[in-house]
Amino acid sequence: MKKGYWIAAALTLAFVGFGLTAFQKTLTPYLSFDEAKKARGVVQVMGALDKQSDRYDATREELSFDLIDDKGGRMPVAYKGIKPANFKDAISIVAIGRVHEGRIEAEKLLVKCPSKYQGAEVEKAYASQPASKS
Amino acid sequence: MYFWPGVAAIWGALLAGLAGVAVYVRVDRGRKDLLPLARTLYAAYATCVVAASAMLMTLLLQHRFDVSYVNSYSSAELPLHFLISTFWAGQEGSFLLWCFWGSLIGLFVWRSAKEQEAPVMVAYLATFLGLIAILCRQSPFKLLPPPAPADGVGLNPLLQDPWMVIHPPVMFIGFASLSVPFSFAIAALWKKRWDGWIVRALPWALLTFLTLGTAILMGGYWAYKTLGWGGYWGWDPVENTSLVPWLFTAALVHGMFLQRVRKRHRKINLILACTAYAAILYGTFLTRSGVLADFSVHSFIDLGITGWLVAILGTFIGLSIVMLAWRWRSIPVVEEEESPLLSRSVLFILGIAVFCALATVILLGTSAPILTRLSGTPSQVQTSFYAKTTTPAGFLLVFLASLVPFVSWKGDRFNEFLKSARRSLIVAAILTLVAVGFGARKPGTLVLLFTAFFAADMNLRAVLRKTKNAKLGGAGGYLAHVGVGIMLAGVVISGAYAKSQRVTLPVNVPKKAGGATLTFLRVVPGTAERKQAMEIKVDTARGKSFYAYPKMYENSRTGQLMANPSIASSPITDLYIAPQQYDPGQPETVGRDVRLTKGTTTNIEGVGFTFRDFNADRSAMMRGEKTVLVLTDLTITPADGVNRDVTIKYVFHMDGREAEAEEVDIPGVPRAKARVLAVSPNDGAVVLRLRGVSKDPGMEYQAATVESLSVDVTRKPLISLVWGGFYVMMAGGILAFVKRSKEARKAVLDIAKEESARGGAPVPATGPALPAHTRSRLE
Repeated sequence: MKKGYWIAAALTLAFVGFGLTAFQKTLTPYLSFDEAKKARGVVQVMGALDKQSDRYDATREELSFDLIDDKGGRMPVAYKGIKPANFKDAISIVAIGRVHEGRIEAEKLLVKCPSKYQGAEVEKAYASQPASKS
Repeated sequence: MYFWPGVAAIWGALLAGLAGVAVYVRVDRGRKDLLPLARTLYAAYATCVVAASAMLMTLLLQHRFDVSYVNSYSSAELPLHFLISTFWAGQEGSFLLWCFWGSLIGLFVWRSAKEQEAPVMVAYLATFLGLIAILCRQSPFKLLPPPAPADGVGLNPLLQDPWMVIHPPVMFIGFASLSVPFSFAIAALWKKRWDGWIVRALPWALLTFLTLGTAILMGGYWAYKTLGWGGYWGWDPVENTSLVPWLFTAALVHGMFLQRVRKRHRKINLILACTAYAAILYGTFLTRSGVLADFSVHSFIDLGITGWLVAILGTFIGLSIVMLAWRWRSIPVVEEEESPLLSRSVLFILGIAVFCALATVILLGTSAPILTRLSGTPSQVQTSFYAKTTTPAGFLLVFLASLVPFVSWKGDRFNEFLKSARRSLIVAAILTLVAVGFGARKPGTLVLLFTAFFAADMNLRAVLRKTKNAKLGGAGGYLAHVGVGIMLAGVVISGAYAKSQRVTLPVNVPKKAGGATLTFLRVVPGTAERKQAMEIKVDTARGKSFYAYPKMYENSRTGQLMANPSIASSPITDLYIAPQQYDPGQPETVGRDVRLTKGTTTNIEGVGFTFRDFNADRSAMMRGEKTVLVLTDLTITPADGVNRDVTIKYVFHMDGREAEAEEVDIPGVPRAKARVLAVSPNDGAVVLRLRGVSKDPGMEYQAATVESLSVDVTRKPLISLVWGGFYVMMAGGILAFVKRSKEARKAVLDIAKEESARGGAPVPATGPALPAHTRSRLE
């Protein structure tokens, strides 16, 4: 029986170790605009929509807009996909993706809209590709 | 201001519960005469909790909108079943629901605990008193300051779904019943009764396995059918925090069964019972405290109970660790001969280890925002983290489950095992070849499929073997494993071979997508019973055609755009059409629209626009003339800083004809023009369309669009196996639950008999507390 325990312990440790590496690899940090512009890899930034800045090309399904943070910083966002519903009403938008030349190419947008329902889903996720969830 | 009877009931529950704990402690110290009082106090506690729940339900049904909770979550027009479900739409109500089930389950626990009644009930009551304390502080019976609103805010439209009506109650049965194994484990540590608790706590662990599992599936089905994600699982924190306790419960169920049969491995179950309960508390903390607010598609509101939740979590984790450390050396370890690797004992240990490792890794991913916050930069893991880690763990679990049926506890030779497995290996190989025939190619997928088929067939044969011996009742575990195998096959096939495509369908133009031809025909307007839907004609490759009606509508209360997919299901494949965007179409426009309110100055590209006033011919309006002239007075301040007054004419026709708008030059800006697009005298606002103001002409141009609907079309092959496999797994769980409940009842009766034989004295607190018959037979 001892043998069984040892294998179980080794298996668990190996798996949790594997989990930890995967964890570090897929971690996407929440960064300020300045940090994000210097960062490599996938990051996420949050800000308010500059309502004068958004452009949407319906035929190519390309959306671009600027996010503004509370310090007045500006982060241009490019997103390939259908313009999220209620986009203009967003209180805040989270963009997740990689930064190229000072512009974040978002793979995913989280659009937070005002809701008067308590505990309601006021945030909705939009993926640049058709949602590939198992 | 409070609704006093409700508050009194909750405080009554707190006081009766605390008194119950105190009296049960004295009973345990030898005051047997106080036992009736302790039971009365528990009954009083349960009565108070049930009364508080009944009062909240009554307030909801009576539309007492002066009660803050009723006002926040319900409204007068909700049909009865949704109105009932508003009970658990908010945090306070769901905590109350949790306690409600707990108070009912406790009535069974106290009867079955017998000689352990005092220690078990002390721990059991303690698990709920923290929640009751939260309800005292954050009462669902708070009143709004008068006057009472005429109607409530209403129920979140996403929750207005039959699945969401039953999902929370089922889930909270699972939460509440997990308090039972935890309390028995604490009592076992306290009283050093290492084996007797298993037989009586196992049915409750199985109940959690069943109810929490069902709740998770209902949540997944709701996400698939209503949210239009295209999937049933999104690795959202809310989903994970119910999955993790469920995995620990699955580990606990296996561990308890192992201890029942082998009389060994006591430490495992003591640890697992504490861990599973801690996982539920931790999940509650994660989802209710607001710590994940920026990281989840669900939003959480901090009600100011975070400190309380942390305190409860810390108390129970600390208590578990202290109790385990205190008794660790005195837990008897049975030395035994070395079992070979291929023995059921080793397989069980390995399985439990994988369950725990998997749960820990999911918990790690879910906790990422908290863990990384400690190091400074709050971060989140991508969903690929979960796919990467759960796949090998899922494979291992199903592989282990495939070995179990034809391996004995003591172990077998590999050759003998191979002989009994041969038939299933052939079946699995054939089924995998069929999958290859349908186009499955990826080696990883094929390995997973082979294992899933092998596990399903091995366990199916074990079920049939049991049935032949008329012992179907004991086949619960095998049947559950059959279901797990089927489910894994469904998850793999529907995940790996799903084809998803986003298409924009211009009205009346057929387009190919997902192996069918789709034609968007029209918008079907909503009625009182039916939401607005999009009519799409679907012509399949086989020449069949039907109409799909994905819903897309604006919520009348919030203006939020809601979209529900349409799913055409068959046992073979689901055609999933999720609407993304509807464009009513518009002609080509040139210009930039600006809304101005009276008296304010708006700066556009260096030009100031001040809207001074309207000048409408009100007398013409009063006379009921069909045409109204509106003059809009503006002050325009170009870059040179000189104010210029401009008046623009706008002729509005009451009979629906298009308005006539004069286009004027914008002074000081060459080639720039302005006209009135719309007026709203009630708001004191005007909308101007400006041309030539922007330096970049592209910014003012919007091409014409035709009416169109964008949809995600997904073909999900054999997703029916996911649901089907789940039902089989749950059927196995129910068989096991029935069998173990019978055993538990028998054990309780035996203890009662033994007690009366001793003249009412309880069996001594040490020594073998396990009646002979509960030693389970080997097959």
